[in-house]
Order: sequence, then C-alpha cells, then structure tokens
Amino acid sequence: MKMLFRFLSVAIMLSLVLSACATATPSTPSTTDGTIVIRAGTGDGGDGLTPHQQIIQNFEDQNPNVIVQLEPVSGRDYYARLLTQLAAKAAPDIMQIGDDAVPSFVSKNAFVPLDTYLENSNFDASIYLPGLLDPGKVDGKQYLLPKDYSPLAVYYNKKLFDEANVPYPVDGWTWEDLLATAQKLTLKDTSGKVTQWGIQLPAAWTTGFEYWVAAAGGSLISEDGKSFVGAMDSPEVARAVQFYADLYNKYQVAPQPADMNSFGGGNSEFANGKAAMMLFGRWPQGGLKTNPNISLGVVAPPKDKVRANILFWGGFGIATSSKEADTAFKYLSFVSGEPGAQVWKDWALPAVKSVADSSGLSKDPIEGVWIGELNYLMPRAYTFTPFWNETADPALRKVLESVILDPNADVNALLAQAAKDAQAALDKIGE
Amino acid sequence: MWVGCTGTHYPPYPHLLNDSDISLALRSLHRNEALSFYIAISPWLVGFLLFTVGPMMISLLISFTDWDLLTAPLWVGLDNYRDLATDPLFIQSIKVTLAYTAAYVPLDLVGGLLLALLVLPRFKGVGAFRTIFYMPTVFSGVAFVVVWLWMLNPNGGLINLTLGWFGIVGPRWLLDPNYALWALVMMSFWGWGRSMALYLGGMQSIPGELYEAAAMDGADSFRQFFTITLPLLSPTIFFILVLSVITTFQSFTSAFVATNGGPLDSTLFLVLYIYRQAFEFFNMGYAAAMSWVLFAIIMTLTVLLMRSQKFWVFYLGGRSE
Amino acid sequence: MKEYSTPILQLHGWRRNLRILLIAAVAVLFLAPALWMISSSLKPDYEIFATPPTLWPISPRWQNYSEALTSLPFGRFAINTMIIALGSIVGHLLSCSIVAYGFARLQAPGKGFFFILMLSTLMLPYPVTMVPLFIIYSKLGLINSFTPLILPTFFGNALYIFLLRQSFKQIPLDLEDAARMDGAGTFQVLMNVILPLSRPALAIVAIFTFQAAWNDFLGPLIFLHNQSLYTLQLGLSLFRGAYNVQWAYLMAASLVVTLPVIAIFFFAQKSFIEGVGFTGTKI
Repeated sequence: MKMLFRFLSVAIMLSLVLSACATATPSTPSTTDGTIVIRAGTGDGGDGLTPHQQIIQNFEDQNPNVIVQLEPVSGRDYYARLLTQLAAKAAPDIMQIGDDAVPSFVSKNAFVPLDTYLENSNFDASIYLPGLLDPGKVDGKQYLLPKDYSPLAVYYNKKLFDEANVPYPVDGWTWEDLLATAQKLTLKDTSGKVTQWGIQLPAAWTTGFEYWVAAAGGSLISEDGKSFVGAMDSPEVARAVQFYADLYNKYQVAPQPADMNSFGGGNSEFANGKAAMMLFGRWPQGGLKTNPNISLGVVAPPKDKVRANILFWGGFGIATSSKEADTAFKYLSFVSGEPGAQVWKDWALPAVKSVADSSGLSKDPIEGVWIGELNYLMPRAYTFTPFWNETADPALRKVLESVILDPNADVNALLAQAAKDAQAALDKIGE
Repeated sequence: MWVGCTGTHYPPYPHLLNDSDISLALRSLHRNEALSFYIAISPWLVGFLLFTVGPMMISLLISFTDWDLLTAPLWVGLDNYRDLATDPLFIQSIKVTLAYTAAYVPLDLVGGLLLALLVLPRFKGVGAFRTIFYMPTVFSGVAFVVVWLWMLNPNGGLINLTLGWFGIVGPRWLLDPNYALWALVMMSFWGWGRSMALYLGGMQSIPGELYEAAAMDGADSFRQFFTITLPLLSPTIFFILVLSVITTFQSFTSAFVATNGGPLDSTLFLVLYIYRQAFEFFNMGYAAAMSWVLFAIIMTLTVLLMRSQKFWVFYLGGRSE
Repeated sequence: MKEYSTPILQLHGWRRNLRILLIAAVAVLFLAPALWMISSSLKPDYEIFATPPTLWPISPRWQNYSEALTSLPFGRFAINTMIIALGSIVGHLLSCSIVAYGFARLQAPGKGFFFILMLSTLMLPYPVTMVPLFIIYSKLGLINSFTPLILPTFFGNALYIFLLRQSFKQIPLDLEDAARMDGAGTFQVLMNVILPLSRPALAIVAIFTFQAAWNDFLGPLIFLHNQSLYTLQLGLSLFRGAYNVQWAYLMAASLVVTLPVIAIFFFAQKSFIEGVGFTGTKI
C-alpha cells in the first residue's frame, strides 16, 4: 500500500513535469515589450499559403512592432476549428471565410462592422473591381473585404479543337452552340466506346449549378427568400436541369463523375487531354497552364435566355472577440488592398482594379475573360436566405445526383419533390 | 523476468493450491482491498471527472438547447429529441450505420483471426509479412482514402479493371447508391491488421502444455484449434468484438473523405451527420441530441455483450466477471 | 518453451506450400494501395489520374519527396509529434496498468458500474465532446499547447484499460496468491507478477498509443493553433488546398510520415509475438 501511494505520487509529479515542458510555446501574449501579435486564420493550403506568407512578410517589414501569426487549416476542417474557437471566444483576430458563410457568421455577430474603420482611415473602398464588395456586405453594412474570387468559365483545349478542325468557342455563344461544339468533339472508337469527351462538367456541384439556373432566366428561391415552391420547380429551372442532364445521358458528351464527393466530381478527363472543354472556376488554372496535354484557352460560359454568371469569393474580416481590432484593421487593409493585390496577382485574380489593369491582366486573353465576367454577375442563392445550406442545398444536390445517375429520371417530378422538401425544411426552422 | 526467479517459494499447502475457496479466503483477509481498488483506479477516475464527465454533461445540457456556437444557447427542452424522431435523414443514418457495423464487425473478427493464423509461425521473413498485413491500418486519413477513390473509379480504377479481365462489368461503386456502402466495407478490410495484432498478442497467453497434452490424447490440429485455441482466445475475441462495435458505430473518416454521405445519402454515417449538423448547419444542440441517442444505442449493445460474457468467454486466470 | 504456442500451424508438405501461397496472395492485396501511393508520389500531379493508368511514372520525379518535405517545416512537425507520442506512451503505460489491475483483480462495491461507466466514455462521438472540452481547456489557459493532448493520457484510457484488464485476467490467480502469501502488497504483486507476464499486452498498448498519437488529426486540429506547434498530420492536411490538392506531394509526404510507425511495429512485433509466452504453473 505504501508503495502504491509512493508510486502514484511519483506518477502524478511526473505527469505535471512532462506537461509543463511539453508546452512548447506559452500562449502568445498580446503585448510583450510593445510587440502586438495578430492571429490570422485561413482555410487555404498547399502553395496557396505562399502568398499569405509573402504578404505577412511585407506587412511586418513596414510595421516592425507587429507580428502576424498565420493559422492555416485547409478544407472543411477549417470551419470545424473556427467554430470551436469562436464558441470559446478564442478565435483569431483576422478570419478568412467563404462567401456563403458570410450571412451566418455576420448574423451571429462574429465579425466587426468595418464602416467606421473605412471612413476614419484613408482606405478607399472603391478600388475594387465591380461586384467584389457585395459578398462581404450584409444589410448594406460592410463586414469583410475581398481576398480573391472566381466566376465560372469554359476552359478549352486548343490542341483537340485543332485536331478536329473545329473553330474555338467565341464570347457570346449559346447553349445550343455548346451542345453542337461538344458533339463535334466527342469521339468514339470502333467499338462505340468514347475516347474523347466534348465537355467535362462538375457533376452534382450545387452552387456551381446556379450558373445554369441564372442563364436560363430562373431562380431557385423566391425574391423574399421565403419560398422554394414556384421557384425551384419553375420551367426555367427545369430547362436548366434537363439540358445539363442531357449533356450527360442523352447526348453523352460529358463523362460521368468519378465520385460524388470530390469537388466537382473528381473527373480528370480534361487534365488528361481526353475532354475538349471544361466548365469550372479559375482554381485549377495554374496546373492546367503547365500541363503538357493542354494548350489552354478560356471563354465565357454560354448564354441562354440571359447572359449570366455567378461569383465565388473569399474575404477577410475582423473578429468581434479581437482585442487588437485597430492593428487588425491595419493588416486587413494591407492584405486586401493594393499591397496585398500586388502579391495575389501572381496566384489568383487580384481584387483591386488598378493592379488588374497595370499588370495587364484585364487585357490578357485568358485572365481578361474572368475579369470581364464580373459584369454579368447574378446574386447567389444563399444571399436570399441564411438557411440555404440545410434546406435547399441538400434538395438540389439530390436532384442533380439523381439526374446524372439515372438516364430515365423525371426532371419535373424530381424538382417538384425537391421544392417541397426544401420548403418543409425551411418551414420547420421557422417554427 | 520469470515468476520463478523472484524468490517466491511455493506455499506449504500444495494440494490446496487450486482451490478457489482458499484464494477467496486469502483475499478477504485483505480488508483494504476495496480501498486498494479505488486507489488503483483513482488516476482514471480523476481524469474521468475532469476530462470526460465534464464535457459529457455539458454536451447533454447542450442537447436540450438550440445553440449555433456563436450566440448564446436557447433552452428548448426535449424539442431536439422530438425532431429526431421525425427526421428522415437521422433514420437513414441509423440504418446505414447499423448495416455497416453488422457487415464489418463479423468480417473483422474472422478476417483478423485468419490473418493471425497465417503469420503466427516463425519462418524466415514472417516479420515482414506481419508488418505488411498491419501496414494499411497505419496509413491514416486522406491519402489512403484517396488511393481507394482511385481504385474504385468506375471507369478505369484498379478494381473494375481487374474485374474486367474476368469479363465482369463492375458496378459504379461510389456512384451507385446500392453499392457505395459496400465499397466502404471493402475499404475497411484493410483494417484487419489491427485485430490480427491483437489476436497474435492474445495467443501468447495460451500455455503450450495444453497442446502437448491434447496431442498425446490423440487430438489433431483442427480439434486442438476448436477445443483449445478458440476458447482460450475468447477474452481477446470479446475485446475485439466490443471494441469493434463501439468504434465501427462511430465511423466517420472514410465517409467524410470519400463520399460525404452520398450518393443519395446511402453512406450517411451517423457521426458524419452529427458533424454536418454541428459544423456546417450550426445546429450544435441538435447534433448533441443525436450524439446521446448514438450513445444510448452503443451502450445498450455493449451491456448486452457484457452480459453474454458468462456464456462464452473463458478466462484462464480462473475467475470471470 | 515452444517456438510457437499454437501447433495447429505446424504444417508440412503441400499444406505448407499452400500456406505460403496464401500469404503471398494476401500480401499483394494488402500492399496494392501502398504500391499505388509510391507510384503516385513519383508522378507529376496530372499523371496520377490518367486513364488508362500508368503503373510506373513515365519519368519518375524523385524530387517530389524533397520538395514536399521542404515546402513545410516537417522537421519541426516531426519533433512535435514525437513529443506528444512519447508523452502519451508514458502516460498510458503508467496509468492504464494500475487501473486495469484494479478492474481485473480487486473487488469492491460498485466495480461493475464503474467498468461500464469507463467503457461508456468510448461511446460518445468526438465532434460533440470536443467543443465543451475545448472551452474547458480554454478557460484553464491550456490551449495552443501540447498539454491537452498529453495530460489526459496520465489519467488512463478506457480502451487500453480494457485491453490490459483482459490480459491480466488471463494470469492464474495461483501466482498472485503465492506472492501474497509471501507478504507482497497489491503494488508489488502488480510490479513483480502481473506486469512481467503481460509484456505482449503492454507492447500492444505502447504501439497502439504511438500510432494513435502519430495519426491523431482532430485533437491537434482543435488544440494547436500556432503553426510551429503543428503535428505531422496537420502538416499533411495542408497539402489540400481549398479547391485543389497537391496530390504527389501528399502521397510522398504521407509515405514518409508513416515510416516510423511501420518501423516500430516491425521491430516490436518480434518481441510481443514471439517473445516470452506464458507456460503456466509448475506443480
């Protein structure tokens, strides 16, 4: 027994000692001899972190008494960590989030409204390209400033077009043109197996699908954000879904997705030179440009009833729990403004107009297409209701998965059901 | 260090050595045995109160609220639980999780044992084979699942390619709601190495003399396996069984990375749905309620398993619970 | 002492060859994913998903390895992970043995209840308890350090307590009684009788703990904010950007990160599988 006690006390002491040495860095104090530490959270990963680090370096050089600590977590885990930190009021000072998360976070008071800061500082919010401040606004107040953005476009492989002697797509083309071009570029071998696809589509990617809905002149939700019935099951949406599904199953110009979870269906045909076109955002462009299978061209997405596009956006804001809001704003205006844009332009599209123009990106045959599309933006569906993710998104996803997997799917019936399901979910939340 | 070397000598009543009554008497002489027990488990007990009961109780409280993690929680009583009963996705996720567990656990028990039997004897290079079988369990998370995603690619992935050589047109696996869950079960075969390791360790405690005696009585290998090995392995089997049920019910990563619950919710594991409600829909209270229902299910199953111990688990040490 | 304790496996002739064939076939099956990872790690990203797939890269990019491992401070990550892993092993071995002995051998009122209670701690999914846990640690000022990852191991872990309890119960009471007859107290019985005979189980606890700590993602995700504290798994996750993944680097780095765990198992399996088997009491 004595031994037991002795042993236990040794074990307890040992544990305390180990835990003490195991704390590699003490929790960073806010001010030590005048140095201010700003924590910045980001969901970027991979080489997307390099521009962050470059900008931080530049900022620290200009502001020697400030240290900016980047806390990167990539992918969906980012939100899990961010929310946990927010719940304990231990969030970073600067938080980067995606556009569809803005209404939820802002409505829950996670971000500091920036209007007073913008007025008091010399920061001129009109430096941005059109439409880039809107995703960071809620109820007219500005909460976040832009980081980067991407509309949709159609990549095409000039090599394959040349081989088939098909003229490149031109700006202003229509859905019918898209179908015709894709059909000309879908090649089969003697056994009937497809060796080359016309266009690679992003499978059941719900938010990307909003482009099709917008171009068909429809909307997935009513203007007041309260009803899906009448919107989601409208003829315009049905046309969009039917056309999309037909590309897969009726005309078979689009390859089936590799898996339903990878962003955009996990297809690799375009990257392998086995598909002539691809509808997607700007994110994989870097890799595509250096891919030896591809001679890259980019064109605006085709119009149908309307010429429309949608924007995907990421931005930075200041957490309400931040104790160094002033310094945080200094960094915010740096990273989101002209100094930051000078670094971003080598990695993504810069949000600042002057940088876009001076670097020649606005006139570039590829980059200019993306920037030009900013003139055709339609509002994203999530802006109409804060409950988009849990009501309409799963319903729409089901529709898309069903029509892609099943060639005999009844589009109208599926949409009617989806509208009902989404409505039921929305009504339930309202209770 | 062998027992014989520590200088203990045999008690003066050898003919009573195996009498459990004597053992009992000896034990009850230890008046402070109960105290010893509580002191012995005190490290766990203290940690349990600090790091487990606390968060568990808090999460129970959360389950009675509507909480979005950012603003103050709102008390709603049993509403979350009531909503669960009518939530088709919740019911779906229970079905999916039950099916997955019912398929995986028996496979794991048997598969692990077969693997262990294959690599138990010491021959040249067996260490390498044991490691090879164990290796997949060591690969974590994303990279490994991604490899599987590629192998399961319906168009050119390794699996359908191989099936093609035999003239079979493989199903569309992760794209087909009827096959996606079985694809995930297939992926978990590679986790048998863990049970294998546990079986290998468990086989060490089987005394070799028993086999000698049985062989002398004329029992062949098969007989020996079923009358000696299996019964004496039953504590290990019990451990693996309980462990497997508890952890398989909480499967998350493969669905999170490979399918995100799709297609058409055919792989919507319960913990995945909980994660989604908590961190994608900001419904922490609802997620907590689901977790407690999950807890109740697992607890029920475990208690049933524990009760069943006395029917089939045999402890060499001579006393079962 | 026999070479192996289960003679069923002493096969001869065609049975032996069959077994070798079986092992080889299963080995190939189990190796396939790893081989694919190795092959992918040497390809440029766009070739990894090529159809038809190339078994071996057209021109292997060995520099993927150096590029991947230097793109992030993996050395630092490795040290951090090692600290957590070793700390956890010490914690578990110390605490779980004592507690398991209590559950295995000591009688007390309420023991059955506590056992089920202990098992129940394995049943609540982590995503839900991690938020309250984080809040508790945050109030204690212990976040952004290794403490929340190592400290709990000194207070036992239901899984390993259960495992050791199963193992301890296998040891014949006679040996313990003999020791007690000689005046040994509970603790001495544990140290001198139980533990030496439980080497396989203790080795398994150590190996599994190391592996769990090495591969732990959610824990470090929540508790480690400063990048200089990141573990290897957090580092690996950074190869996944928000919209695209650096596949080749991810494969290469994952393989390298996994090597220590594989190595430990390889060297340890010899001792806990072929080591001292227990041969029972002599009368």
